[in-house]
Amino acid sequence: MAIELEYDRSLYGVEHKAGPFEITNEIIDRANSSTGETGPAFRSDEGAKEAGYRGRIAPPTLCCILVRQVSLPDVKVKFGRTQMHAGQRVEPKAPVYAGDQLTASSHLKDVYAKTGRSGTMVFVVWETTFSNQDGLVVAEVQESFAKRE
Amino acid sequence: MHYFDEIELGDEIGPVEKIATDEGVANFCDVWGAPTPNRFTDAETAAKSGMPGTIVPGIMTMAMMAQLLTDWGGPDSIKDLDLVFRQPVPHNRPLTLAATITDVREEEGEHLVECDILMTGTEGERYVGGKAIVALKQR
Repeated sequence: MAIELEYDRSLYGVEHKAGPFEITNEIIDRANSSTGETGPAFRSDEGAKEAGYRGRIAPPTLCCILVRQVSLPDVKVKFGRTQMHAGQRVEPKAPVYAGDQLTASSHLKDVYAKTGRSGTMVFVVWETTFSNQDGLVVAEVQESFAKRE
Repeated sequence: MHYFDEIELGDEIGPVEKIATDEGVANFCDVWGAPTPNRFTDAETAAKSGMPGTIVPGIMTMAMMAQLLTDWGGPDSIKDLDLVFRQPVPHNRPLTLAATITDVREEEGEHLVECDILMTGTEGERYVGGKAIVALKQR
């Protein structure tokens, strides 16, 4: 039986802007050291140039870290007590270079219920587009949060 | 780095073993600006959320999965990485990352490889799973 979900539907179609986020060498260094990233193009200008880029680039999931700095409103789902980060998707569209200034634009993509072996969960999905200082889209990120009974 | 003409359906990417250390997780949370205390770096907060210990942030496991793919296909080879965080991932334990190629195709001039990707634990725990599309160069 389909569940009639109660939440703030007025959030659909509203864009939440954030940024600019400056992609500093320090941010890339710290992201690299936390995961043991050794790819030369992510480590230095020289390594990136050898791989055919004009300068050092950020690892492809850096926007997935930045997305957590976008302030998003409460969807006010009237279901469950605990919430967890259920999934994430990234579609990189263009390289992000050290020194870039990125802006983010997020909107509510979907709210839906799913029933499996462990019971019913309600998923809230946000979609964020990151663009650089030239207006070029560099990544699309989807975050999915699950509320459990 | 691999080229498209070398790849066959069913080929494996990896496996590689990685460990998310306490220090690595703390560093990652700083980059992200995670509010503290949190269940990623504070055992008490983790216990309150029903976790057996501090856990690795989902987005950090995603960065590790992406690394498996960029080491294999090149720094900007990932076109799509879509992951489900199935179980809490512990710190300081060996994690095995691997992918299996499920489709190879040419689309709008790109040479695409689709794969199922998985992060598992030493007892066979399936921590993080999903799908990825990687574009490879053609020789």
